[in-house]
Amino acid sequence: MAKTVLLLEADSSHADALKIYLGRKQAEVHVAATDEKARGLLASRDFDILLGNPYGFGEACPGEVKRHKLANPLLQVIIFCPRALMDQAMDDFGPLAANYLDLPLNSKALGLALDHAEKCIATEKKLAAYSQRLSDLHDAQSLYQQLFNEVPCYITVQNKDLRITDTNAKFKRDFGHEVGGFCYEIYKHRSSPCPECPVAKTFYDGGSHGTEEVVTSKAGKQYNVITQTAPIKDENGQITQVMEMSTNITQIRQLQDHLSSLGLMLGSMSHGIKGMLTALDGSIYQLETGLQKEDRTRMAAACEQIKEMTERIKKMVLDILYYAKSRELQYALTDVRELAETVVSMISPQARHKGINLVTELEKDLGIIEMDPNWMQAALINFLDNAVDACLFDPKEKEHRVVFRVSPRDPETVCFVIEDNGTGMDRQTRETLFTLFFSSKGSQGTGLGLFIANHVVQQHGGSITIRSELGEGSRFEVCLPRVKTDHARLNAVPQPHQNVAF
Amino acid sequence: MPKILIVDDDPNIRQYLAALFEDHGYLTVVARDVAEALQTAQDERPDLITLDLDLPGEWGPRFYRALSQEPELKSTPIIVISAMPGSRYAIGNAVASFTKPFDREELLKTVGETLDL
Repeated sequence: MAKTVLLLEADSSHADALKIYLGRKQAEVHVAATDEKARGLLASRDFDILLGNPYGFGEACPGEVKRHKLANPLLQVIIFCPRALMDQAMDDFGPLAANYLDLPLNSKALGLALDHAEKCIATEKKLAAYSQRLSDLHDAQSLYQQLFNEVPCYITVQNKDLRITDTNAKFKRDFGHEVGGFCYEIYKHRSSPCPECPVAKTFYDGGSHGTEEVVTSKAGKQYNVITQTAPIKDENGQITQVMEMSTNITQIRQLQDHLSSLGLMLGSMSHGIKGMLTALDGSIYQLETGLQKEDRTRMAAACEQIKEMTERIKKMVLDILYYAKSRELQYALTDVRELAETVVSMISPQARHKGINLVTELEKDLGIIEMDPNWMQAALINFLDNAVDACLFDPKEKEHRVVFRVSPRDPETVCFVIEDNGTGMDRQTRETLFTLFFSSKGSQGTGLGLFIANHVVQQHGGSITIRSELGEGSRFEVCLPRVKTDHARLNAVPQPHQNVAF
Repeated sequence: MPKILIVDDDPNIRQYLAALFEDHGYLTVVARDVAEALQTAQDERPDLITLDLDLPGEWGPRFYRALSQEPELKSTPIIVISAMPGSRYAIGNAVASFTKPFDREELLKTVGETLDL
């Protein structure tokens, strides 16, 4: 049995007999015949079994044995004593002793007691090992849980129906705590699974799949994410769930968009710039020849043209600067009537010069609005500019007019209506007019004006409604909330660390 | 006096070209888009046409194709004046091709040579 046994026995002949008996059972036996020896042995090393009669020593002995057992739970205690002391022993040790044997010892009973003790030792050792492993496992689990939560991605675990069964902390923060909803519902507010779902593909083939998606957080903010999936298998190798990890790459995409459209812009810009430079060449030619011929009419016309070209080039450069440098809006409480009047004063000379009737209708009580007056002014001028051009390009001979009407729609909203009876737009033009570099004006347009105007209105949390028929004219209605909205706050352009500047 | 049809959507450039040609002894007519250009070409029978390629709504080369369908007009020489690079290839039979902003003297020289033939 190869156990170490401490034998407590004051009677040396009995101790010798027991030592021989135990030796036959291959136990390593240490005999303590005195209190001193017992104390020394107990202090010096661990024993598997303590076998003995604690009542053959001093009065303190039973107490010491008991304390020792309590300190070493693995130690198996077998007590033997004269029958008369048995009650006392059971009272003293209770369940701490594994067995109680009467003196004189019956060798069979002792054998069974030793076997039992040995079994207990084995079981308890196993139990100790299991508990150790369990606590290691628990530590590992909480470590993984922590990793799962702290990973800088959105992690969801999904079942075959694409229902979310677990999420990490980052996901909870941006998309909510609810577990059990459908992935496509929570990420994309869809009512059916997305086409090309990477989770479904992983369920199908067990591989890892990825996509790039635009998802909407619970706060309504849109994020570009790269998603990757991994299968979660049970012990039989069956895929029971799929983990989806989504990395937020919104900032990278924004920067990339910005850079690529900047490149695109410079490319497409060259076309418009060439037209303007040619026209400027023309005006200079007219001015020169006018001077030579002393033709005042020609000189005056040339001057007008130079002024117009300078304005156009100026506006284009400002548009480029706006786009090249995305910036935060500078909100200020703005008097609506004042803003409208400024806009009118800037557009009316141009309209008059081109023979277009500009009608202004401002309601009396327009009040105050929270906005960036500079950018909103630029946006409104862009709409009006466009209306003037739409009249100018209209081949129909009629009296062309542009109406600029400002009125409160309700206490919270102010609407600016820009109406013209010019060329009007077909459906395709209506649908694409806010895209970058879209222009219906041939070489005279840059494709920036309405893109920026729309951008500014969106940033303010406003809306643009367009009504237009080809040949009938167009009507743009720009409605703005009086107070800066949450939407506007969310849509604020993130400031890149380095702005691209010219 | 030879007559030149100027096709360009930019009024400033039309005016410039008209003044330039008139100052040098040509008659001019102008058109701002393809439909107007075709009509004017038929009505006025110009001796030469300057053509911008990027016109609103329509595309310069389409004007050229339409012009080629008219027996009386198809031999009218065309000079392309456009902001677009590589425009030489857009109109196969163009006499010459200028990129905006163009060299005034070069243009007058080419126009003169073309009309002298």
